Amino acid sequence: MLKDNHVLESIPAYVLGSLGDDEARLVAEHIRVCYLCRKELDAYQIVADQLSLAVPDVPPSVELKSRLMERIQSLKNKPVSRFEGWRLPRRLIPAGILAGLLLIVLLAFSNLLLWQRLKNLDVLTGPLGMRAIALQNTDESPGASGFVIVGADGQNGVLVVDQLPPLDEAHEYQAWLERAGTYTNGAIFSVDKSGYRGVRLTAPESLLKYSSVQVTIEPAGGSEAPMGRQVLTGSLFNP
Amino acid sequence: MNFKKSDHAALIRLIADEDTGALEELYARYTRLVFSVALTIVNDHSVAEEVALDVFVHVWRGAATYRPERAKVSTWLVAIARHHAIDILRRQRARLDAKSLNLDDISLVGDSNTADPEESAELTSQREYIRGAVAQLPAEQKQALILAYFSGYTHQQISELLEQPLGTVKTRIRIAMQKLRQLLLQEDEPSDKSEDAQVAYPIDGKE
Repeated sequence: MLKDNHVLESIPAYVLGSLGDDEARLVAEHIRVCYLCRKELDAYQIVADQLSLAVPDVPPSVELKSRLMERIQSLKNKPVSRFEGWRLPRRLIPAGILAGLLLIVLLAFSNLLLWQRLKNLDVLTGPLGMRAIALQNTDESPGASGFVIVGADGQNGVLVVDQLPPLDEAHEYQAWLERAGTYTNGAIFSVDKSGYRGVRLTAPESLLKYSSVQVTIEPAGGSEAPMGRQVLTGSLFNP
Repeated sequence: MNFKKSDHAALIRLIADEDTGALEELYARYTRLVFSVALTIVNDHSVAEEVALDVFVHVWRGAATYRPERAKVSTWLVAIARHHAIDILRRQRARLDAKSLNLDDISLVGDSNTADPEESAELTSQREYIRGAVAQLPAEQKQALILAYFSGYTHQQISELLEQPLGTVKTRIRIAMQKLRQLLLQEDEPSDKSEDAQVAYPIDGKE
Protein backbone atom coordinates (compact mmCIF):
# COMPACT_ATOMS: atom_id res chain seq x y z
CA MET A 1 0.00 0.00 0.00
CA LEU A 2 1.42 3.32 -1.01
CA LYS A 3 2.18 5.88 1.62
CA ASP A 4 -0.32 8.35 0.17
CA ASN A 5 -3.18 5.83 0.15
CA HIS A 6 -4.35 6.67 3.63
CA VAL A 7 -6.27 4.08 5.58
CA LEU A 8 -8.22 6.47 7.79
CA GLU A 9 -11.56 4.73 7.23
CA SER A 10 -10.17 1.36 8.24
CA ILE A 11 -8.49 2.52 11.42
CA PRO A 12 -11.52 2.31 13.76
CA ALA A 13 -12.03 -1.32 12.76
CA TYR A 14 -8.28 -1.99 12.94
CA VAL A 15 -8.07 -0.98 16.60
CA LEU A 16 -11.11 -3.13 17.36
CA GLY A 17 -9.40 -6.08 15.66
CA SER A 18 -12.33 -6.62 13.30
CA LEU A 19 -10.53 -6.39 9.97
CA GLY A 20 -9.71 -9.54 8.07
CA ASP A 21 -6.06 -10.65 8.11
CA ASP A 22 -5.17 -9.24 4.69
CA GLU A 23 -6.72 -5.85 5.31
CA ALA A 24 -5.21 -5.65 8.80
CA ARG A 25 -1.78 -6.37 7.33
CA LEU A 26 -2.18 -3.59 4.75
CA VAL A 27 -3.21 -1.13 7.45
CA ALA A 28 -0.28 -2.16 9.67
CA GLU A 29 2.17 -1.69 6.79
CA HIS A 30 0.76 1.72 5.94
CA ILE A 31 0.78 2.93 9.52
CA ARG A 32 4.46 2.17 9.81
CA VAL A 33 5.23 4.79 7.16
CA CYS A 34 2.41 7.32 7.60
CA TYR A 35 2.48 9.80 10.44
CA LEU A 36 -1.05 11.05 9.81
CA CYS A 37 -2.63 7.61 9.98
CA ARG A 38 -0.48 6.66 12.98
CA LYS A 39 -1.80 9.65 14.92
CA GLU A 40 -5.33 8.69 13.91
CA LEU A 41 -4.61 5.17 15.12
CA ASP A 42 -3.40 6.53 18.48
CA ALA A 43 -6.60 8.53 18.86
CA TYR A 44 -8.85 5.57 18.09
CA GLN A 45 -6.77 3.27 20.26
CA ILE A 46 -7.68 5.48 23.21
CA VAL A 47 -11.37 5.13 22.27
CA ALA A 48 -11.04 1.33 22.10
CA ASP A 49 -9.20 1.24 25.42
CA GLN A 50 -11.95 3.28 27.04
CA LEU A 51 -14.58 0.95 25.63
CA SER A 52 -13.48 -1.74 28.05
CA LEU A 53 -14.53 0.50 30.91
CA ALA A 54 -18.17 0.25 29.81
CA VAL A 55 -18.55 -3.34 30.94
CA PRO A 56 -20.96 -4.10 33.79
CA ASP A 57 -19.10 -4.15 37.08
CA VAL A 58 -19.09 -7.67 38.49
CA PRO A 59 -16.89 -8.80 41.38
CA PRO A 60 -15.07 -12.14 41.20
CA SER A 61 -15.37 -14.69 44.00
CA VAL A 62 -13.57 -13.83 47.22
CA GLU A 63 -11.45 -16.98 46.86
CA LEU A 64 -9.80 -15.63 43.73
CA LYS A 65 -7.31 -13.54 45.66
CA SER A 66 -6.09 -16.46 47.74
CA ARG A 67 -5.77 -18.56 44.59
CA LEU A 68 -3.68 -15.82 43.02
CA MET A 69 -1.41 -15.47 46.05
CA GLU A 70 -0.95 -19.25 46.21
CA ARG A 71 0.10 -19.27 42.60
CA ILE A 72 2.47 -16.36 43.15
CA GLN A 73 3.94 -18.10 46.19
CA SER A 74 4.55 -21.23 44.15
CA LEU A 75 6.34 -19.13 41.54
CA LYS A 76 8.46 -17.52 44.26
CA ASN A 77 9.31 -20.90 45.77
CA LYS A 78 10.87 -22.21 42.60
CA PRO A 79 14.46 -23.33 43.26
CA VAL A 80 16.97 -20.54 42.91
CA SER A 81 20.56 -20.73 41.84
CA ARG A 82 22.83 -22.01 44.57
CA PHE A 83 25.04 -19.01 43.92
CA GLU A 84 22.27 -16.61 44.87
CA GLY A 85 23.15 -14.73 48.00
CA TRP A 86 26.88 -15.02 47.41
CA ARG A 87 28.62 -11.77 48.16
CA LEU A 88 32.05 -10.52 47.15
CA PRO A 89 34.15 -9.33 50.13
CA ARG A 90 34.17 -5.53 50.22
CA ARG A 91 37.96 -5.23 49.74
CA LEU A 92 37.74 -7.27 46.54
CA ILE A 93 34.97 -5.20 44.96
CA PRO A 94 37.27 -3.02 42.77
CA ALA A 95 39.02 -6.12 41.46
CA GLY A 96 35.64 -7.72 40.91
CA ILE A 97 34.42 -4.73 38.90
CA LEU A 98 37.56 -4.82 36.77
CA ALA A 99 37.22 -8.54 36.19
CA GLY A 100 33.57 -8.04 35.30
CA LEU A 101 34.37 -5.35 32.76
CA LEU A 102 37.07 -7.54 31.23
CA LEU A 103 34.61 -10.40 30.99
CA ILE A 104 32.03 -8.16 29.30
CA VAL A 105 34.60 -7.02 26.70
CA LEU A 106 35.66 -10.61 26.05
CA LEU A 107 32.06 -11.77 25.72
CA ALA A 108 31.20 -8.91 23.38
CA PHE A 109 34.21 -9.74 21.22
CA SER A 110 33.39 -13.44 21.13
CA ASN A 111 29.77 -12.64 20.35
CA LEU A 112 30.87 -10.51 17.43
CA LEU A 113 33.02 -13.31 16.07
CA LEU A 114 30.23 -15.78 16.63
CA TRP A 115 27.70 -13.57 14.86
CA GLN A 116 29.99 -13.23 11.85
CA ARG A 117 30.48 -16.98 11.64
CA LEU A 118 26.78 -17.60 12.00
CA LYS A 119 25.97 -15.58 8.94
CA ASN A 120 26.72 -18.58 6.75
CA LEU A 121 25.58 -21.34 9.06
CA ASP A 122 22.22 -22.56 10.32
CA VAL A 123 23.65 -24.39 13.33
CA LEU A 124 26.99 -23.78 14.97
CA THR A 125 28.24 -26.02 17.76
CA GLY A 126 30.92 -24.67 20.06
CA PRO A 127 33.75 -26.72 21.57
CA LEU A 128 31.93 -27.13 24.89
CA GLY A 129 28.63 -28.14 23.34
CA MET A 130 26.93 -24.74 23.24
CA ARG A 131 24.87 -24.38 20.09
CA ALA A 132 23.67 -21.40 18.09
CA ILE A 133 20.83 -21.83 15.61
CA ALA A 134 19.96 -19.29 12.93
CA LEU A 135 16.24 -18.72 12.44
CA GLN A 136 14.62 -18.17 9.06
CA ASN A 137 12.38 -15.18 8.49
CA THR A 138 8.99 -15.44 6.77
CA ASP A 139 7.01 -13.32 4.32
CA GLU A 140 5.63 -11.51 7.35
CA SER A 141 9.07 -10.23 8.29
CA PRO A 142 11.35 -10.35 5.27
CA GLY A 143 14.03 -8.19 6.90
CA ALA A 144 14.08 -9.92 10.28
CA SER A 145 16.74 -12.23 11.62
CA GLY A 146 17.16 -14.21 14.79
CA PHE A 147 19.31 -16.71 16.64
CA VAL A 148 18.70 -19.17 19.42
CA ILE A 149 21.70 -19.91 21.59
CA VAL A 150 21.40 -22.96 23.83
CA GLY A 151 23.75 -24.12 26.59
CA ALA A 152 25.36 -27.55 26.35
CA ASP A 153 22.97 -29.13 28.86
CA GLY A 154 19.89 -27.49 27.33
CA GLN A 155 18.90 -25.88 30.62
CA ASN A 156 19.50 -22.33 29.42
CA GLY A 157 18.76 -20.63 26.15
CA VAL A 158 18.57 -17.17 24.69
CA LEU A 159 16.63 -15.85 21.70
CA VAL A 160 18.06 -12.80 19.96
CA VAL A 161 16.03 -11.07 17.24
CA ASP A 162 16.76 -8.12 15.03
CA GLN A 163 14.75 -6.03 12.55
CA LEU A 164 11.38 -7.35 13.71
CA PRO A 165 8.68 -4.69 13.25
CA PRO A 166 7.72 -3.03 16.57
CA LEU A 167 4.13 -3.94 17.47
CA ASP A 168 1.29 -1.88 18.89
CA GLU A 169 0.53 -2.18 22.58
CA ALA A 170 -2.15 -4.78 21.99
CA HIS A 171 0.32 -7.30 20.58
CA GLU A 172 3.55 -8.99 21.57
CA TYR A 173 5.88 -11.50 20.02
CA GLN A 174 5.78 -14.99 21.45
CA ALA A 175 8.44 -17.66 21.05
CA TRP A 176 7.22 -21.25 20.88
CA LEU A 177 9.13 -24.47 21.43
CA GLU A 178 7.65 -27.27 19.38
CA ARG A 179 7.81 -31.02 19.85
CA ALA A 180 5.61 -33.53 18.03
CA GLY A 181 3.10 -30.86 17.16
CA THR A 182 2.81 -29.62 20.74
CA TYR A 183 3.78 -26.02 21.42
CA THR A 184 5.23 -24.69 24.66
CA ASN A 185 5.55 -21.02 25.43
CA GLY A 186 9.23 -20.03 25.55
CA ALA A 187 9.07 -16.26 25.90
CA ILE A 188 6.81 -13.27 25.36
CA PHE A 189 8.50 -10.10 24.31
CA SER A 190 8.43 -6.84 22.42
CA VAL A 191 11.23 -5.22 20.47
CA ASP A 192 12.78 -1.79 20.55
CA LYS A 193 12.45 0.76 17.77
CA SER A 194 15.15 -0.95 15.73
CA GLY A 195 13.39 -4.28 16.08
CA TYR A 196 16.04 -5.75 18.40
CA ARG A 197 15.55 -7.80 21.55
CA GLY A 198 17.38 -10.49 23.49
CA VAL A 199 15.25 -12.67 25.74
CA ARG A 200 15.78 -15.78 27.82
CA LEU A 201 13.94 -18.91 26.68
CA THR A 202 12.26 -20.82 29.48
CA ALA A 203 10.64 -24.21 29.24
CA PRO A 204 9.56 -26.93 31.67
CA GLU A 205 12.04 -29.35 30.12
CA SER A 206 15.51 -29.20 28.62
CA LEU A 207 15.58 -27.17 25.42
CA LEU A 208 17.35 -30.14 23.82
CA LYS A 209 14.06 -32.02 23.88
CA TYR A 210 12.33 -29.66 21.47
CA SER A 211 12.58 -29.96 17.73
CA SER A 212 11.87 -26.44 16.52
CA VAL A 213 11.34 -22.87 17.59
CA GLN A 214 8.88 -20.38 16.15
CA VAL A 215 8.11 -16.75 16.80
CA THR A 216 4.58 -15.49 16.20
CA ILE A 217 2.63 -12.29 16.74
CA GLU A 218 0.11 -12.78 19.53
CA PRO A 219 -2.20 -10.61 21.61
CA ALA A 220 -0.45 -8.80 24.49
CA GLY A 221 0.12 -11.24 27.30
CA GLY A 222 0.63 -14.14 24.94
CA SER A 223 -1.54 -17.02 23.84
CA GLU A 224 -1.86 -20.58 25.02
CA ALA A 225 -1.03 -21.86 21.55
CA PRO A 226 0.32 -20.13 18.43
CA MET A 227 -2.60 -18.32 16.81
CA GLY A 228 -0.96 -15.37 15.11
CA ARG A 229 1.26 -14.82 12.12
CA GLN A 230 4.67 -16.49 12.13
CA VAL A 231 7.68 -14.20 11.74
CA LEU A 232 10.66 -16.46 12.48
CA THR A 233 11.17 -20.20 12.50
CA GLY A 234 13.99 -22.70 12.80
CA SER A 235 14.85 -26.32 13.57
CA LEU A 236 16.52 -26.96 16.88
CA PHE A 237 18.11 -30.33 17.35
CA ASN A 238 15.93 -32.82 15.52
CA PRO A 239 15.61 -31.34 12.04
CA MET B 1 4.68 -0.74 53.71
CA ASN B 2 1.46 1.17 53.06
CA PHE B 3 0.69 0.91 49.34
CA LYS B 4 -2.58 2.81 49.45
CA LYS B 5 -0.94 6.06 48.37
CA SER B 6 1.37 4.50 45.79
CA ASP B 7 0.57 5.47 42.22
CA HIS B 8 -0.13 2.71 39.75
CA ALA B 9 3.22 2.85 37.96
CA ALA B 10 5.05 2.74 41.30
CA LEU B 11 3.13 -0.39 42.21
CA ILE B 12 4.24 -2.04 38.98
CA ARG B 13 7.86 -1.17 39.75
CA LEU B 14 7.51 -2.75 43.19
CA ILE B 15 5.92 -5.83 41.65
CA ALA B 16 8.90 -6.09 39.31
CA ASP B 17 10.96 -6.37 42.51
CA GLU B 18 8.70 -9.25 43.60
CA ASP B 19 6.82 -7.29 46.24
CA THR B 20 3.70 -9.34 46.89
CA GLY B 21 2.14 -6.52 48.94
CA ALA B 22 2.23 -4.30 45.87
CA LEU B 23 0.59 -7.06 43.82
CA GLU B 24 -2.16 -7.36 46.42
CA GLU B 25 -2.78 -3.62 46.21
CA LEU B 26 -2.89 -3.71 42.40
CA TYR B 27 -5.27 -6.64 42.62
CA ALA B 28 -7.52 -4.73 45.01
CA ARG B 29 -7.64 -1.75 42.65
CA TYR B 30 -8.20 -3.56 39.36
CA THR B 31 -9.50 -7.05 39.88
CA ARG B 32 -13.13 -6.08 39.36
CA LEU B 33 -12.35 -4.27 36.14
CA VAL B 34 -10.18 -7.10 34.81
CA PHE B 35 -12.70 -9.75 35.84
CA SER B 36 -15.64 -7.78 34.44
CA VAL B 37 -13.96 -7.39 31.06
CA ALA B 38 -13.12 -11.10 30.95
CA LEU B 39 -16.64 -12.08 32.02
CA THR B 40 -18.23 -9.86 29.37
CA ILE B 41 -16.16 -11.63 26.73
CA VAL B 42 -16.23 -15.28 27.80
CA ASN B 43 -19.62 -15.20 29.56
CA ASP B 44 -18.51 -17.87 32.00
CA HIS B 45 -17.70 -17.05 35.61
CA SER B 46 -15.05 -19.70 36.17
CA VAL B 47 -13.31 -19.11 32.84
CA ALA B 48 -13.33 -15.35 33.54
CA GLU B 49 -11.68 -16.00 36.90
CA GLU B 50 -8.98 -18.04 35.19
CA VAL B 51 -8.40 -15.17 32.78
CA ALA B 52 -8.17 -12.71 35.69
CA LEU B 53 -5.70 -15.00 37.47
CA ASP B 54 -3.60 -15.27 34.33
CA VAL B 55 -3.59 -11.48 33.95
CA PHE B 56 -2.17 -10.90 37.42
CA VAL B 57 0.32 -13.77 37.08
CA HIS B 58 1.39 -12.21 33.80
CA VAL B 59 1.85 -8.89 35.59
CA TRP B 60 3.91 -10.61 38.28
CA ARG B 61 6.16 -12.20 35.69
CA GLY B 62 6.28 -9.32 33.25
CA ALA B 63 6.07 -6.18 35.39
CA ALA B 64 9.54 -5.18 34.26
CA THR B 65 8.32 -4.98 30.67
CA TYR B 66 5.58 -2.44 31.48
CA ARG B 67 6.24 0.92 29.85
CA PRO B 68 4.21 3.74 31.40
CA GLU B 69 4.84 6.00 28.41
CA ARG B 70 2.86 3.62 26.19
CA ALA B 71 -0.23 2.94 28.29
CA LYS B 72 -1.83 3.54 31.64
CA VAL B 73 -1.79 0.58 33.99
CA SER B 74 -5.56 0.07 33.63
CA THR B 75 -5.20 0.07 29.83
CA TRP B 76 -2.37 -2.44 30.03
CA LEU B 77 -4.29 -4.78 32.32
CA VAL B 78 -7.48 -4.57 30.29
CA ALA B 79 -5.61 -5.17 27.02
CA ILE B 80 -4.06 -8.34 28.44
CA ALA B 81 -7.42 -9.52 29.80
CA ARG B 82 -9.32 -8.75 26.61
CA HIS B 83 -6.87 -10.46 24.27
CA HIS B 84 -6.51 -13.48 26.49
CA ALA B 85 -10.28 -13.84 26.82
CA ILE B 86 -10.87 -13.39 23.09
CA ASP B 87 -8.21 -16.01 22.40
CA ILE B 88 -10.15 -18.45 24.54
CA LEU B 89 -13.39 -17.45 22.90
CA ARG B 90 -12.01 -17.92 19.41
CA ARG B 91 -10.70 -21.34 20.31
CA GLN B 92 -14.01 -22.38 21.71
CA ARG B 93 -15.65 -21.23 18.47
CA ALA B 94 -18.99 -21.88 20.07
CA ARG B 95 -20.09 -18.33 19.54
CA LEU B 96 -19.38 -18.49 15.83
CA ASP B 97 -22.62 -20.39 15.59
CA ALA B 98 -25.29 -17.74 15.32
CA LYS B 99 -27.83 -20.04 16.91
CA SER B 100 -25.85 -20.19 20.13
CA LEU B 101 -25.55 -16.43 20.45
CA ASN B 102 -28.49 -14.59 21.90
CA LEU B 103 -28.17 -11.18 20.35
CA ASP B 104 -30.76 -9.79 22.75
CA ASP B 105 -28.26 -10.41 25.55
CA ILE B 106 -25.71 -8.08 23.99
CA SER B 107 -25.72 -5.16 26.33
CA LEU B 108 -23.04 -3.38 28.24
CA VAL B 109 -24.96 -0.69 29.99
CA GLY B 110 -28.04 -0.54 32.13
CA ASP B 111 -26.86 -3.37 34.35
CA SER B 112 -26.68 -2.93 38.08
CA ASN B 113 -23.31 -1.53 38.97
CA THR B 114 -22.21 -1.10 42.51
CA ALA B 115 -19.28 1.14 43.20
CA ASP B 116 -16.11 -0.67 44.14
CA PRO B 117 -14.68 0.94 47.29
CA GLU B 118 -11.13 0.02 46.22
CA GLU B 119 -11.51 1.56 42.77
CA SER B 120 -10.18 5.09 42.42
CA ALA B 121 -12.70 7.90 42.05
CA GLU B 122 -11.08 8.79 38.72
CA LEU B 123 -11.59 5.29 37.34
CA THR B 124 -15.16 5.13 38.65
CA SER B 125 -15.94 8.46 37.01
CA GLN B 126 -14.32 7.33 33.75
CA ARG B 127 -16.39 4.16 33.74
CA GLU B 128 -19.60 6.07 34.31
CA TYR B 129 -18.78 8.46 31.48
CA ILE B 130 -17.96 5.79 28.94
CA ARG B 131 -21.09 3.83 29.87
CA GLY B 132 -23.09 6.96 29.21
CA ALA B 133 -21.34 7.48 25.90
CA VAL B 134 -21.98 3.91 24.73
CA ALA B 135 -25.62 4.21 25.83
CA GLN B 136 -26.04 7.11 23.41
CA LEU B 137 -25.23 4.95 20.38
CA PRO B 138 -28.11 3.61 18.29
CA ALA B 139 -28.82 -0.05 19.10
CA GLU B 140 -27.57 -1.44 15.78
CA GLN B 141 -24.26 0.43 16.04
CA LYS B 142 -23.79 -0.66 19.63
CA GLN B 143 -24.50 -4.26 18.70
CA ALA B 144 -21.95 -4.29 15.87
CA LEU B 145 -19.37 -2.56 18.05
CA ILE B 146 -19.78 -5.02 20.89
CA LEU B 147 -19.58 -8.02 18.58
CA ALA B 148 -16.33 -6.64 17.18
CA TYR B 149 -14.68 -5.54 20.38
CA PHE B 150 -15.94 -7.95 23.02
CA SER B 151 -16.56 -11.04 20.93
CA GLY B 152 -13.62 -10.73 18.59
CA TYR B 153 -15.60 -11.08 15.38
CA THR B 154 -14.41 -9.72 12.07
CA HIS B 155 -16.57 -7.53 9.85
CA GLN B 156 -17.31 -10.53 7.68
CA GLN B 157 -18.37 -12.69 10.62
CA ILE B 158 -20.59 -9.95 12.03
CA SER B 159 -22.16 -9.50 8.63
CA GLU B 160 -23.02 -13.22 8.51
CA LEU B 161 -24.15 -13.28 12.12
CA LEU B 162 -26.49 -10.33 11.78
CA GLU B 163 -27.44 -11.16 8.20
CA GLN B 164 -26.58 -7.64 7.15
CA PRO B 165 -24.53 -6.49 4.15
CA LEU B 166 -20.80 -6.23 4.84
CA GLY B 167 -20.78 -2.54 3.93
CA THR B 168 -23.55 -1.84 6.44
CA VAL B 169 -21.59 -3.51 9.22
CA LYS B 170 -18.43 -1.59 8.35
CA THR B 171 -20.31 1.68 8.34
CA ARG B 172 -22.05 0.99 11.65
CA ILE B 173 -18.78 0.20 13.37
CA ARG B 174 -16.96 3.18 11.87
CA ILE B 175 -19.71 5.64 12.77
CA ALA B 176 -20.00 4.21 16.29
CA MET B 177 -16.28 4.69 16.86
CA GLN B 178 -16.39 8.20 15.42
CA LYS B 179 -19.24 9.12 17.77
CA LEU B 180 -17.46 7.68 20.79
CA ARG B 181 -14.34 9.59 19.85
CA GLN B 182 -16.30 12.81 19.69
CA LEU B 183 -17.96 12.13 23.04
CA LEU B 184 -14.64 11.34 24.68
CA LEU B 185 -13.09 14.48 23.23
CA GLN B 186 -15.94 16.48 24.75
CA GLU B 187 -15.10 14.94 28.11
CA ASP B 188 -11.47 16.02 27.74
CA GLU B 189 -12.21 19.53 26.47
CA PRO B 190 -12.29 21.38 29.82
CA SER B 191 -8.74 20.26 30.49
CA ASP B 192 -6.11 19.31 27.93
CA LYS B 193 -3.68 18.24 30.62
CA SER B 194 -4.97 14.72 30.73
CA GLU B 195 -2.52 11.86 30.52
CA ASP B 196 -4.10 10.84 27.26
CA ALA B 197 -4.24 14.28 25.65
CA GLN B 198 -3.46 14.03 21.97
CA VAL B 199 -0.38 15.61 20.47
CA ALA B 200 -1.21 17.92 17.59
CA TYR B 201 0.39 17.02 14.30
CA PRO B 202 1.53 19.31 11.49
CA ILE B 203 -1.06 20.35 8.91
CA ASP B 204 0.71 18.51 6.12
CA GLY B 205 0.59 15.36 8.20
CA LYS B 206 4.30 14.69 7.88
CA GLU B 207 6.87 14.18 10.57
